[in-house]
Amino acid sequence: MKFTRSLIGLAAGLALAGTAMASPYDDYKGTTLVVNFPAHPHYDAVMRVLPEFTKQTGIQVEVDQLQYLKMREKQTLEMTKSKGDYDLLAYVVFSKADYVYADQLENLARYFMNPKLANPGYDAADLIDGYVANIGVAGGNKGYMDGPTGSLFGVPFGAETSILGYRKDIFEKHSLKVPETYDELLELACKIPELEPGMGGLASRAASGHQASHAFLLHLAPLGGRVFDDEWNPIINNEAGVQAAQALKTIVDCGPEGSKTFNFAEAGAAFLQGNTAMFLDSTVFAGSVNNPEKSTIVGKVGWAPHPMGTRRGSQTGGFGIGIPKNAQNKEAAFLLMQWLTSKEADKLIALEGGNPSRYSTHADADVNAKFPHMATFGEALKHADPDWRPIIPVWGKINADLGTELSKVLTEDLDIQTALDGVASRAAAIMDEAGYNTWK
Amino acid sequence: MSTQARSFTPYLFMAPAAAVLVVALLYPIAYMIYASFLDWNPSQRIGQATFVGLRNYTSLWSDANFRESFGVTLKFASLVVSIEMILGVGLAMLLDRSIRGMTVLRTIFILPMMIAPIVVGLIWRYMYHPTVGIFNRTLNSLGFESVPWLSDSFWSLTSIIIADIWQWTPFIFILSLAALQSLPRSALEAARIDGASGWQQIVYIKLPLMMPVLIVTLLLRLIDAFKVLEVVLVMTNGGPGLSTEILSLRIARTASEFRELGVAAAMSNYLLILLMILTAIMFTYTRLSEARAARLRQMSEEG
Repeated sequence: MKFTRSLIGLAAGLALAGTAMASPYDDYKGTTLVVNFPAHPHYDAVMRVLPEFTKQTGIQVEVDQLQYLKMREKQTLEMTKSKGDYDLLAYVVFSKADYVYADQLENLARYFMNPKLANPGYDAADLIDGYVANIGVAGGNKGYMDGPTGSLFGVPFGAETSILGYRKDIFEKHSLKVPETYDELLELACKIPELEPGMGGLASRAASGHQASHAFLLHLAPLGGRVFDDEWNPIINNEAGVQAAQALKTIVDCGPEGSKTFNFAEAGAAFLQGNTAMFLDSTVFAGSVNNPEKSTIVGKVGWAPHPMGTRRGSQTGGFGIGIPKNAQNKEAAFLLMQWLTSKEADKLIALEGGNPSRYSTHADADVNAKFPHMATFGEALKHADPDWRPIIPVWGKINADLGTELSKVLTEDLDIQTALDGVASRAAAIMDEAGYNTWK
Repeated sequence: MSTQARSFTPYLFMAPAAAVLVVALLYPIAYMIYASFLDWNPSQRIGQATFVGLRNYTSLWSDANFRESFGVTLKFASLVVSIEMILGVGLAMLLDRSIRGMTVLRTIFILPMMIAPIVVGLIWRYMYHPTVGIFNRTLNSLGFESVPWLSDSFWSLTSIIIADIWQWTPFIFILSLAALQSLPRSALEAARIDGASGWQQIVYIKLPLMMPVLIVTLLLRLIDAFKVLEVVLVMTNGGPGLSTEILSLRIARTASEFRELGVAAAMSNYLLILLMILTAIMFTYTRLSEARAARLRQMSEEG
């Protein structure tokens, strides 16, 4: 079936080659790529742009969209086969460590070196540095980051950072200043419920597990903390860690009703329903604010960079796209990947409501005319911190433990220092078992 | 046909079933037992995993999270099943009479069982919602304080217990009702003629006669209660803290979130062992009570 299709494609390609101008895509015309994307607002936008790729290149794309937490299981299964079904896949940032370590993703060097494949006009310097370091590169600093020994395994696509959304009307009504520092943020978070009875200050995720852990890490980096020091010793229980947990607790205590168990969607819904005056989380959320079907606060939201503590450090996360080692159409997959992350497609996707991966798209006039917050997001991205959370294979376990303990802090009033000391000592044992102490 | 061939025939007929059993049941279990001795993450093929002996089993007991989860499971299963048994059998006793529209009523009663668990989880999650949920709105309009249904460790366990009782009491009800209706009328009539009161009939006639069915029902429910996953997953995802993290949720998280297939297999085996012990105890009990009944019957016949 595939063979006949490629034969037809080849024949069509040959026929066209005689008449039309040669295009770098000619050799791959008629190829059908199978790609795995998450069900996610960015990729929904991508789906609307993909027909343009097929129109320009003659390469067909079949998309398997999955819920993003389910993707890893499916991908892991696919990539352990000797011949995989996926030619290109979107991976969640924390899968990077597992995939690269298991040698399941193609090193992209040999594609960017290939003059027949690599487009000289790609302008990789325009890709947002924090995203590339966090999502694309592995093998550099700490093993999971960029650095002199790093190489590229994927390109950020559907990446996101954290941003502060606030209710302009409420802020004007009480002549409040948009918080720039953590002190201002925390003060305001608890002041708003007094000024506007029934309204919470800031909606945050807090549900047990990944959600609580994510919310905590969001504050940890700006407040000057890290999970590990440079020698893999857990330092999550130091002063900055305690401050970050305290910040989370303050925010949740002054948050809208029920916020102790909010997940990302519920925290977002609280903001959209007007139950809270501020929202500090992923940029992916910005798309829904002005959608009257989902939001009661259309036109009332302003955006500001993630407030700073001792330093600036918004999160980096979301997705990247990479080519599995066992893919069957790797070169065509690279062409698709290059096209999707090119300036042209990045803009098209942004106009459809996706998250751009390039500085130029954030500054683009057309994009800003449609989404005025893009310029602010572009500014905020300059401070995106690629190392706000470790991307190591054992992180899943430490993350779960951290999230559980934080949930106990939020709902059962467990002492913060005790909770973080426990996490740190268990993390030390996990790290030791995983071999991170070998060189000590 | 020789006698030898004839004695062979039953085995021949059983062969397909036996083959299915081996392939569909024994092979996966053997695989799981083998996997539980490995340090295996899902990115590896099973051949690449390292053999670690009993380490997965022993390390689990020093894992406070596993112990807590085990405790939560025991608490959940025992509470849920005992309450459901009392309610289900009670309801069956009350409704064991000819009421008009009984068929319709019975269908309505077993509706909760037919709803997909994910949907049950969602329904209850919305009903428990802190602000717009029906429970808190009702409480507020009656002048009571809101209850932190899903955001407090005591209440969230209570909440999932309530949801499970709502969903599975009908199962016990329907089986007990069937058992009740198939009881020998002669025994009940004899009791009535001898002047037994309603309670006496229940305690001395109905319950003992229903016992074999009740034991099996109890066992089925218990096995199910130890394995419940979706409803809890949707309602609380194990939180807050680990207060509702039942074992099957812990197993799922260990496999997919922590990527430790060997440890997850070891946990599943612990669960399997626990369930097998429970089953064995219950079957022993039934056998003993049957033997006792047979002895009594024999004695009365001899006497």
